[in-house]
Amino acid sequence: MTPTISTQLDVILNDFERNVRHVQATAVVSTDGLVIASRLPSDVEEDRIGAMGAAILSISNRSGGELERGEILRVLIEGEEGYILIRSVGEYAILVALVEKDVRLGLLFFEANKCIELLKEVL
Amino acid sequence: MADIKQVVLERDLNPYHSFFSSFFAGLAELGMINQGSINIVAKRAADYLYAYLEAKDILPDIKVVPGKNPTEVAKNLILYVNKILSLVGEYDFKQVEDGQAVLLITANTCRICPKGVGGAEVKGTLCPIPTLVVNLVNKIAQQELLQLVTTGIEKEGPSCKAYFSVLN
Repeated sequence: MTPTISTQLDVILNDFERNVRHVQATAVVSTDGLVIASRLPSDVEEDRIGAMGAAILSISNRSGGELERGEILRVLIEGEEGYILIRSVGEYAILVALVEKDVRLGLLFFEANKCIELLKEVL
Repeated sequence: MADIKQVVLERDLNPYHSFFSSFFAGLAELGMINQGSINIVAKRAADYLYAYLEAKDILPDIKVVPGKNPTEVAKNLILYVNKILSLVGEYDFKQVEDGQAVLLITANTCRICPKGVGGAEVKGTLCPIPTLVVNLVNKIAQQELLQLVTTGIEKEGPSCKAYFSVLN
């Protein structure tokens, strides 16, 4: 029996978190800001993560266009306690990851690429 | 975008409809809002509107009581909400199966659509109505009477549809 889309997405996000151990939480969100799948701590409101993640990427894309920076490849927000990584997953979805400060960014970007290719196959 | 004069006259818009829809259209075109954030904001607006209705002492006495069909109660509450806020011109709220109901809005009579009225040129939906209705109806009914089945609204031909669970 073919696993459901939700199960497939969960497996991909789980693998991403396992391969980059500093990734604390992940979500796949529609460009509308609605959560498709998530592995978020219970104290995080996934509706807000979805809406804000999609809005941040959308604003970044518009800014990139206005300021002639070309297509935005990723948004990386650096906070005192860690990073928020936001990437497009094809035309209709995005990946949001909450990452600890100690992460190796090269590894994070490399594994995020792999994760996104797998997500595209499912979506 | 459709001709503004035609939209204003056909949908019988007041200035607040025009402001609301074009304001949100502008935010959406800047990439600042999406259906997800509209849902969050609509819930907050429902809380505020409930406080407004309470302050004005115009809350209706419509509650679920034994013997009353909860779908009918929800229907009356939606009628009240639409009367107060003048959200849409034509709509229907009806049971589709046991415990589920659909809100069917005739799209070209909606007065607050950031796309159809405000002219937002963006992909996806930007509809505050399902979340606003659920939260306001539940607050007035003083119980969880409606639960959204879908996360937003589905555009289907001339209609916009939102599905709800109706709870006893």
